Amino acid sequence: MYGGGNTFEKLQGTDLQNEDPQKLAEFEARIQRGEKIEPADWMPALYRKQLVRMIEQHGHSEIIGALPEGTWITRAPGFKRKLSLMAKVQDEVGHAQLLYAAAETLGKPREQMIDDLINGKSKYSNIFNYPAFTWADACTISWLVDAGAIVNQLANSRGSYGPYCRALERICAEESFHLKYGHHAVIHLATGTPKQREMMQAALNRWWGPLMHFFGPPDKMSVHSETLMRWKVKMASNDDMRQQFLDMYVPKIWELGLTIPDPLLRKNEETGKWDYTEPDWEEFKRVINGDGPLNKERLAVRRTAEERGKWVRDAMKKVAAKEYVTPLA
Amino acid sequence: MASTFIQSLDPRVTRLQMPEDINQQPLQSEALDQLVTFQVFMQKKEGKNFEHAGIVHAPTVELALLYAKEQYSRRFTCSGMAVAETSTVMASPYTDGGISVYQLLEGEAEATTATADVYEVFHLMKRGKQHEHAGSVEANSVEDAFYKAKESLMPEKPVLNIWLIRRDDLLTVDEEDKDIWNTLPEKGYRDAAAYKAGDKLKDFKEKNEATSSH
Amino acid sequence: MNTDALKELLYKIADDQLILGHRNSEWTGVGPLLEEDIAFSSMAQDKVGQSYQLYQMLHQMGEQEPDTVAFMRNANQFHNSQFVELPVGEYDFSLIRHFLFDHAELIRFSMLSQSSYEPLAQLARKIKGELKYHVMHANSIIKQLGNATEESISRLQKSLEGALPYALGLFEPSPFEEALKEGGIFEGETALQAKWEESIRKIVEQTALQLPDLKTLTPVYGGRSGVHTEHLQPLLDEMAEVFRVDPTAEW
Repeated sequence: MYGGGNTFEKLQGTDLQNEDPQKLAEFEARIQRGEKIEPADWMPALYRKQLVRMIEQHGHSEIIGALPEGTWITRAPGFKRKLSLMAKVQDEVGHAQLLYAAAETLGKPREQMIDDLINGKSKYSNIFNYPAFTWADACTISWLVDAGAIVNQLANSRGSYGPYCRALERICAEESFHLKYGHHAVIHLATGTPKQREMMQAALNRWWGPLMHFFGPPDKMSVHSETLMRWKVKMASNDDMRQQFLDMYVPKIWELGLTIPDPLLRKNEETGKWDYTEPDWEEFKRVINGDGPLNKERLAVRRTAEERGKWVRDAMKKVAAKEYVTPLA
Repeated sequence: MASTFIQSLDPRVTRLQMPEDINQQPLQSEALDQLVTFQVFMQKKEGKNFEHAGIVHAPTVELALLYAKEQYSRRFTCSGMAVAETSTVMASPYTDGGISVYQLLEGEAEATTATADVYEVFHLMKRGKQHEHAGSVEANSVEDAFYKAKESLMPEKPVLNIWLIRRDDLLTVDEEDKDIWNTLPEKGYRDAAAYKAGDKLKDFKEKNEATSSH
Repeated sequence: MNTDALKELLYKIADDQLILGHRNSEWTGVGPLLEEDIAFSSMAQDKVGQSYQLYQMLHQMGEQEPDTVAFMRNANQFHNSQFVELPVGEYDFSLIRHFLFDHAELIRFSMLSQSSYEPLAQLARKIKGELKYHVMHANSIIKQLGNATEESISRLQKSLEGALPYALGLFEPSPFEEALKEGGIFEGETALQAKWEESIRKIVEQTALQLPDLKTLTPVYGGRSGVHTEHLQPLLDEMAEVFRVDPTAEW
């Protein structure tokens, strides 16, 4: 699962001046024709850099994203939920593996990416810095955060980089289970006992803000984002994705008799778009920069997992006794 | 000395006993503990061709195959799997504009000698898709294997990229072990289809409407 | 058919699987390598799934529903071995437990595939593939890490020594041993243990690890009759925390 609001590298005016104009033109023409770029193809340095950054952030979001729902993995109520949640959290780990693999084809080894996550050099989706207080929070994440992620991932799966698209195709297939599972669990809470309903409403209240942040702040159109759109790295604007999410899920939330904690939220008949209270973008920035409720814990867990697993990887490395090469596709 | 541990909402995390100041401690920054990678090929059904699925990191080809099974087939039907270390895969250049890689090969295959190896040949027919198994050839060298593949496996449509892997470098699941894919049919919890709550939702909405109209 | 004997057998197998599956799920998302994390999680799910099948079987024999049985009993009502309730520890311990337990499990179910109790024989045949994978994984990783670095070898050795007395508790003598054998339901714990010893020895011999003389060890018994370590009740409380908020609710 992953949202928008990727942090892309700032474009320098000189970035493309050093590229061979003929090769650049061929590269852009290929994308224009709707063909995918494969790892061995010529690509502008900037394209490579932005893709590594984006796919890596996506991978980090999966592995960190395993933690909020993982909070309830040992406490899921009943066999069915227990098995589902185990499988779902496992999928997030699996997705991280697939995404890191796609980024690896661009030349960055996976352990380097994981190190950069732990030392704070690279980011992950903000939403996973929020806590899952109750079982209902875990269900809300399974349904709505994954729903948001699907909006984003379906858009990205139409992008230009072959290995990323292939990873996303597999991921989207798995996410359809997450979405159904999440909806199923939320329906049970929302239509259940008064206590269950209350849990559910409280969780929704907590997660609505982070969900509105999920796709990132409104894009400022710039030369930079135009280039990324032309290269099919960025596939949809943050606002478009947010609107699409609201369109698909607000009615589904309302039909459960739940209240969305935004008095201004309504579909504007004239514009055909959703009006809503602008989320607190200052908070978004604060959390991205490390000052969210659980940033510290999330990184500490990842770091601990890495450090305590080191003897295993060291031993495996000795058994392998071979050098790493960049995967092919 | 850190005297307190991070208390988490996740009991598993609390049990990790992570010092409060763990993030301030220097990283163990030795050489990257980066394992080698293996390309994974998967057969979705008996009779279908093997197709490239992705990669796994693993110490050995045996464990790579076991890892590949869970990473790539835990929720897709599968009847066979093979892995090869990335460095054993010989890849051709990519072609463009409707030209087949095979058209770039000028030369003839040699006569096969007794020491020839079997090579498995994988074709990429469209950018964005996966390499698919096309067949195998016996050849004296990789170069020769490309020519042999051109003689016996070249399709009418252009092949954009070719991978060759010596059969000895590929590890597959033995016929007798294929029952590792027989799992309980009750594994349905991994499928979207197992989560139907439409009736519950319908009942709820009807009840709601009934109460609000009175 | 001796129903008491059969129930005792089913409960202890199911409880072992549930508790170990639960324990091993604690690694999901924090394993040492992404691929290993995924494989280990699948095996934990298999165990929980298998226990569910056995609880279903018990339910058909008149016991309560699987959810009730799993989430509402207290520690002294569980028949799992103490081995499976021990905390996950470091990964070396979890791997050694996986190795020792799954060898026993594979042999147990291959015996049960011949059971005179047909539902059990059928289930044993159905899960053969899963169990085979578990043992393939355990053997592969123990052979590799057991021959790798000084650290990996000494960690595994230490865990092996600590785990073995508990692992022997898997074969705690059953009051129904003779009844089960006579009824053709199960060949018995003694026969199982003998085969298990041979089976793990074959693998350990291929590593730098030393298998202690099992005869010198004192097996940790008690689990099968509801005597447990201090770890089980907190595990159950945690597992059932949400379920017990309202056991009659649909979650």
